[in-house]
Amino acid sequence: MPSSIPRIIAALLLVAGAFGSSAKAENWPGWRGPARTGVTGDMGVPTSWSATDNVLWKIPVPGTGTANPVVWEDRVFLTASDGRDQGELNVFCFDRDTGRTRWHRRLWGTAPTLFYPKSGMASPSPVSDGKHLWAAFGTGDIFCFDLDGNLVWQRALSDEYGVFENRFGAASSPLLFEDTLIHQCDHYGESYVVALDKATGANRWKADRPEVWLSWSSPQLVPIGNRAELVLTGSEKLDGYDPRTGKWLWTVRGLARECVPTPVLANGLLISVSGPNGTHFGVKPGGTGDVTTSHVAWRNERGTSFVPSGIAVGERYYVADDKGIATCLDSATGKLLWRKRLGGRFTASPVAADGRLFFTDEAGSTLVLDAAQPDYHELSRNDIGEDVYASPAISQGRLFLRTAKSLVCVGTK
Amino acid sequence: MMHHRLNRGSTIILYGCLAAIVAAPHQNAVADATVATQIAVIAKVGPQGKGSAAARAARDDLARRDVEILPPLLAAMNTSNVVAANWYRSIYEEIVERGLARKETAWPIEFLKEYVSDGRIAGRPRNLVLALLDRLDPEYRKQWLPTRLDDPDFRGEAVALALSAGEQALRDGKSDLAKTEFRKAFDHARDSVQVTQAAQKLKMLGEPADVHSHLGLITNWWLVGPFDAPEKTGFATAFAPESKVDLGAAYKGQADKEIRWIRHKASDALGQLDLNGALGATREAVGYAYAEIDVAREQPAHLRCGADDNCSVWLNGRRVFAREQWLNGTRFDRFITPVTLVAGRNTLLVKVCQGPQHKDPEVPNNWTLQLRLCDEQGRGVAFRSIAPE
Repeated sequence: MPSSIPRIIAALLLVAGAFGSSAKAENWPGWRGPARTGVTGDMGVPTSWSATDNVLWKIPVPGTGTANPVVWEDRVFLTASDGRDQGELNVFCFDRDTGRTRWHRRLWGTAPTLFYPKSGMASPSPVSDGKHLWAAFGTGDIFCFDLDGNLVWQRALSDEYGVFENRFGAASSPLLFEDTLIHQCDHYGESYVVALDKATGANRWKADRPEVWLSWSSPQLVPIGNRAELVLTGSEKLDGYDPRTGKWLWTVRGLARECVPTPVLANGLLISVSGPNGTHFGVKPGGTGDVTTSHVAWRNERGTSFVPSGIAVGERYYVADDKGIATCLDSATGKLLWRKRLGGRFTASPVAADGRLFFTDEAGSTLVLDAAQPDYHELSRNDIGEDVYASPAISQGRLFLRTAKSLVCVGTK
Repeated sequence: MMHHRLNRGSTIILYGCLAAIVAAPHQNAVADATVATQIAVIAKVGPQGKGSAAARAARDDLARRDVEILPPLLAAMNTSNVVAANWYRSIYEEIVERGLARKETAWPIEFLKEYVSDGRIAGRPRNLVLALLDRLDPEYRKQWLPTRLDDPDFRGEAVALALSAGEQALRDGKSDLAKTEFRKAFDHARDSVQVTQAAQKLKMLGEPADVHSHLGLITNWWLVGPFDAPEKTGFATAFAPESKVDLGAAYKGQADKEIRWIRHKASDALGQLDLNGALGATREAVGYAYAEIDVAREQPAHLRCGADDNCSVWLNGRRVFAREQWLNGTRFDRFITPVTLVAGRNTLLVKVCQGPQHKDPEVPNNWTLQLRLCDEQGRGVAFRSIAPE
């Protein structure tokens, strides 16, 4: 497959963008941004706002969801669910500059399951490559649209492989790799990870995960030299796979039974957290077999979160746990640098841009920290006036906050 | 089930096409045939994204048409193929949006009302049409919904209206009317929460309401355990009761203790059996529950169960359900298995596994079972407990 190397390079450049020095305006193409780490090279995001100040627009969003907004150039995409058993699925496209609804598609979900009232069936974040948008839901359905809202294909994974049995609704966000869409389906029933042809929806590969049960974490892509590894978290372990074949490569054991956060990359290490009362792991990717003893560079049991993912900026790794205790570790060694009670409770995962960290609590207050400072350095606290459970998005100098009722665009221009 | 739905759908497609011809006699047969052909193309979408490109072309063509294709389109939407239904829905949404934007649209109102009232059609498209009728005839829902107490897809909303009417009657001091409304709600409710709510109100008003019987919950059991099952070996280990149920037998249990069958009645509001309470709190164990019931006639039924950690069920000596999962919660109607009950005596043997303590000592090590027999809609099967004394 001679064309594969450029595609891998392109994918890795996408990953590298998260750590890069690029100051260009960036899209926020899926879960946790360009590299699924919460970090973007975007510049110019405001550090102060209120429910009215520095709000470019605010629009009501019907239904429920914790999917983060996806921003591609002048479009903002969002998903939500509503109706009986949250079986009515919604995909929205808004105008980035005005918030006007460009299109809204309503669809039926295949299979009802239990769900979390704050998130409904719209926990997974959609993902876009600038030509198409793929939206997954807790009902086990995945839809592909073009950017004008025309349906291209749908997969009803629940019909094909069994209902997603999940007491809080499936939450894993699909990942784009080369020309595939990879979806982690860990649940009470038979768990698996599947790579779909992003153009047709057909399976490229499917790997069963027989030892795995319920989790809500999302897959991560790790560059290893001139190739990439797919990393999945769940059921007391971290698994590495070949993203082009689904072949299992390695396992690190010791995580929590039920995992929610998505691992991040920092200093060549994959940092995973699974709590509460769990462990942070700094893992060297690229192993073979059970690498628990050989590839775990460090562990730290302080401040592990259950729902929010961590974030790495520069040499430091940060996490705010569900109860609002922030922990900062040295990402190379796992050494504790500082801890601080932020106040509030957290469901959303933090984001970072322009040397600043943004932690948004459930009450809608966003704490902005200066990531350049080795110690805790608070720049501002900004109250949007509505509850927030979804992780924010940053793109083109603006912060997009999905509240429990609205989508808010924070910016100055 | 699938066969039944397809037959039903085929009938309704025919009905829909006929309605379209009646509603729009000027349409020529070629156009009708084209619509039917394109609808059929979309019906072929399936697993692996199969048929999507053809469906997209058919969709785009159909979406350019007007409300005269709503009858055959809605008929096609009555399908268990949700992927196809979503393609049809995208056409429906586009045509309806365009129709609502025009004043002169000739909506097939009577067809829409017949469609929404046809309980043989799936609830999803009926809900969609009801939302359209909200726009076209804003009073319709208010008149229509209270009549849907036996409608599988709108029963819950109709029962909620009866519960609200009962509450209003209570506030007005009209206890007889309140009893009537709560009785109506109780008799028609199939959702365990609504059944419980209505029963509480009736009991408060001095009226009888047997939740266990209404939902078909099995509460009279013979129990034996705990059998020793280290770690998670219990599911795959067949202890003596699986070979023969002998209510007079004694067995070797955990720590070599002699264990015997005991009578137990679950007193929980929804019939949940607490094996820790009945057999003693333990871990890494297996318990068995046995019941005998008498039913008047042979009948299909749903066996609905949930257990913590897991259960296997034998009906009349044949294993009809088993699911190995650990650290589960017992949730109402978690697992549904179609079964057939024979006329007269039916036996139920249930194996309930208890796994190891979660590594977090604060996670309770529950050992519970909930099981009921009901019809497809959730109304309890009428049975008499005949477990030997």
